[in-house]
Amino acid sequence: MKRAKTIGTALAALLYASGAPAAEHPGRAQIEKDGYKGPATCEECHPGTAKQFLGTVHWKHASKVDNVEHLDPKVEYGMKNRIYTMCNGNDVVNNLKEIPKNSAGHSKLTGCNTCHPGNHISDVGSTGPAAEAAVDCLVCHSSDYDFRQRKPYKDAQGRVVMGQDRSTKAALAVGKPGVKNCMVCHESAGGGVLIKRGLAFNKENDAHAAKGMVCVDCHKSKDHHVPTGFDPNNWANDGVRLACSDCHGDKPHKNADYNRHVAKIACQTCHIPHTGGAVAKDFTVWEQGEDKFWEPTTLKRDANETVPVYAWYNKTVRNEPHFIGPKGSRKDGKSKIYPFKIYMGKAFYDKETGKLLSMDFAPPMATGNARAGVESAARTLGMKDPAAVAKNAVPGWQTIYFASSHLVTKGKALNCVNCHGVNGVLNFRELGYSEAEVKKLTNPEIYFKQLVEMQKQEW
Amino acid sequence: MKRAAAVLLAAARVLLVVLAIGGVARAEEIKMVGVITKIDISGPDAKVATATLKDTKSEKTVDITVKDDLTLDKFKDHRIVEGDEIRCKYEVKDGKNVSNYFRKTAGC
Ligand code: HEC
Ligand code: HEC
Ligand code: HEC
Ligand code: HEC
Ligand code: HEC
Ligand code: HEC
Ligand code: HEC
Repeated sequence: MKRAKTIGTALAALLYASGAPAAEHPGRAQIEKDGYKGPATCEECHPGTAKQFLGTVHWKHASKVDNVEHLDPKVEYGMKNRIYTMCNGNDVVNNLKEIPKNSAGHSKLTGCNTCHPGNHISDVGSTGPAAEAAVDCLVCHSSDYDFRQRKPYKDAQGRVVMGQDRSTKAALAVGKPGVKNCMVCHESAGGGVLIKRGLAFNKENDAHAAKGMVCVDCHKSKDHHVPTGFDPNNWANDGVRLACSDCHGDKPHKNADYNRHVAKIACQTCHIPHTGGAVAKDFTVWEQGEDKFWEPTTLKRDANETVPVYAWYNKTVRNEPHFIGPKGSRKDGKSKIYPFKIYMGKAFYDKETGKLLSMDFAPPMATGNARAGVESAARTLGMKDPAAVAKNAVPGWQTIYFASSHLVTKGKALNCVNCHGVNGVLNFRELGYSEAEVKKLTNPEIYFKQLVEMQKQEW
Repeated sequence: MKRAAAVLLAAARVLLVVLAIGGVARAEEIKMVGVITKIDISGPDAKVATATLKDTKSEKTVDITVKDDLTLDKFKDHRIVEGDEIRCKYEVKDGKNVSNYFRKTAGC
């Protein structure tokens, strides 16, 4: 009952959202009259919003993290300071700046914190009145944003500034964030279109997108705390979580056989049978592009082009220099089987400590010299003898498990024989089932009758 | 019943896709990387645009016809602009180079 209501409400909202044109923003007349002067304009009717925003992950790129091992509970972690091999740089070591000239004599302004809704003068995690005034409300809220403005440039004092569209025209088109607003940053995370997670949120690839849903229909946010799930690599969080069952309950099927599996198998396992995005990158060897700038060597795959690996996951994360991924087991009473995108990244490790090192992309982008990037990052972080750190650094691979949270399908969801067939997608042995159990789980007795029955219903 | 409807819907979708691709036999796909030298798009309601790409290897220019909504939208709000380097796949149809894939090469 409760569930039916939730879905009902969600649907009603959907129909409303896609049927009627978006309701006009009540602030429109005043913005039209006075023009848009940044967050201060919004604050007249939405007081305290900018200040509140400064406390969120989208501004800080960090938060306390309590489900990942080997972290300091007093320190905040996120894209601001994390060191891993999807992005071997971060906001600190690969700060937005003018990079050295390449062999063609060209430079450019680039860095990780271009994915931040500030102006770079007020950067990731900054606070105070200047920071409040620097928030780019419209990048998330305007449906008429001119992205030519959202580019880094140098101001009169030579500071590198991230541009924003602060036109009144853009401010007149304020509303609830659309898919496009979120995808401004999330589409190209990890160094290019659909590289990180293959998050292709469109009607071809995602059942919810096909129904006209947008990101914030699920990632509904209060006070700019955007809920997230338990992706082993999404560490920073606003303290609110979402799950499929929030809307669907845990008995979403008419078919009791599927409902029974929900106790041990996550929804995503059956409903997200494919994954996508880069499968591997090598940060120790950069490749020169036609524009003479260098990029880390990357093996790309499109959305839905690769198959996941399956593992027990209890929502706590193993975090070691060569591995970041799920903890859990069949026996712990808390884990379920989840699908993950496996990603392998090669980068430099500290010869002394065995820890993964980070990289400033500016030097290698200009010259292809990856060790120069390690040296620059080591210097920024105040490590002892950066030149020696870089010279002695040891290349190595890190395995990373990314959650599969989108690309949901109904029609291509795994059915009985996809798992219980002899060539099923689950490796029951590796998942901890005994020989006798495997024999039983792959015996047609398990699914034969049910599938014959479904076959009859289909025709 | 519901199932039948679903199948019909799926069939309709397939048909749509086929129609969109515009022909049963798929022509050969050509791949290129190039820099946009010009974008021709008629206005906010345009359903088609032409982007001129200069092949980074051969330096030849190719006019690409773009019809997919996502890319058109990126032209309209200038998420993709002249000077951007693009990875493109296209097919020749009725003398036009129709894009199946049109993405910026660069990331963050
Ligand atoms: C003259 C007053 C006024 C101004 C100025 C104003 N708003 Fe609003 N806004 C409202 C009112 C009233 C509502 C509806 C009640 C609510 O949600 O608080 C609203 C609602 C919203 C919503 C929710 C829309 C939805 O459909 O869910 C967003 C987002 C929003 N405003 C953003 C902004 C932004 C960004 C600015 C600055 C560009 C701004 N507002 C300026 C009065 C204003
Ligand atoms: C200006 C760039 C930008 C925009 C726009 C943006 N994001 Fe993000 N988002 C990020 C970055 C960067 C992170 C990673 C932060 C970290 O891990 O430190 C992130 C993290 C997240 C997370 C996980 C952390 C959390 O806060 O729960 C979710 C969920 C998310 N974004 C959803 C959205 C949605 C929904 C929208 C659209 C309303 C959106 N984002 C718009 C840059 C952006
Ligand atoms: C990173 C994206 C992002 C940025 C930047 C952003 N917002 Fe929001 N905003 C959201 C999301 C997501 C929601 C929740 C939408 C929902 O759940 O329907 C929201 C909701 C709102 C609402 C509706 C009421 C509420 O608090 O839930 C207002 C008003 C608002 N934002 C104003 C602002 C103002 C003013 C700024 C600039 C100071 C701003 N936003 C910056 C993403 C953003
Ligand atoms: C149908 C609901 C739904 C929609 C629509 C949706 N998400 Fe999610 N998203 C989820 C769920 C559920 C999770 C967490 C799953 C888990 O960890 O169990 C999630 C997780 C995430 C995460 C954390 C990393 C990850 O992949 O787990 C990010 C970032 C994110 N979503 C961004 C987006 C963006 C951007 C959009 C729109 C393009 C979007 N989401 C649309 C349901 C949705
Ligand atoms: C915010 C609520 C919400 C969340 C969270 C959510 N869904 Fe949905 N889901 C919906 C709605 C609404 C529909 C459309 C229902 C309809 O049209 O009958 C839907 C539809 C579906 C469908 C049927 C699609 C079809 O083609 O008929 C599947 C399967 C599904 N969801 C699975 C999931 C999975 C798996 C997750 C987690 C990754 C999830 N949902 C998260 C609200 C949600
Ligand atoms: C063991 C595999 C499996 C698991 C686990 C599973 N599903 Fe499904 N689900 C399916 C299949 C297969 C279908 C398609 C049934 C059909 O086409 O008749 C389906 C259909 C659905 C539908 C459409 C309604 C219907 O009955 O056709 C929704 C919504 C849905 N699932 C949501 C979820 C959610 C939410 C979870 C987790 C709580 C989940 N599923 C877990 C296999 C699974
Ligand atoms: C995503 C893979 C997957 C799909 C799809 C799936 N199963 Fe299973 N099934 C499992 C796993 C894993 C177990 C063992 C769960 C446990 O540890 O309790 C299992 C257990 C069972 C069992 C209990 C076996 C026993 O005696 O211990 C039966 C019966 C069964 N499945 C039937 C079905 C039927 C019928 C379908 C289709 C409607 C189906 N399964 C679809 C993975 C799957």
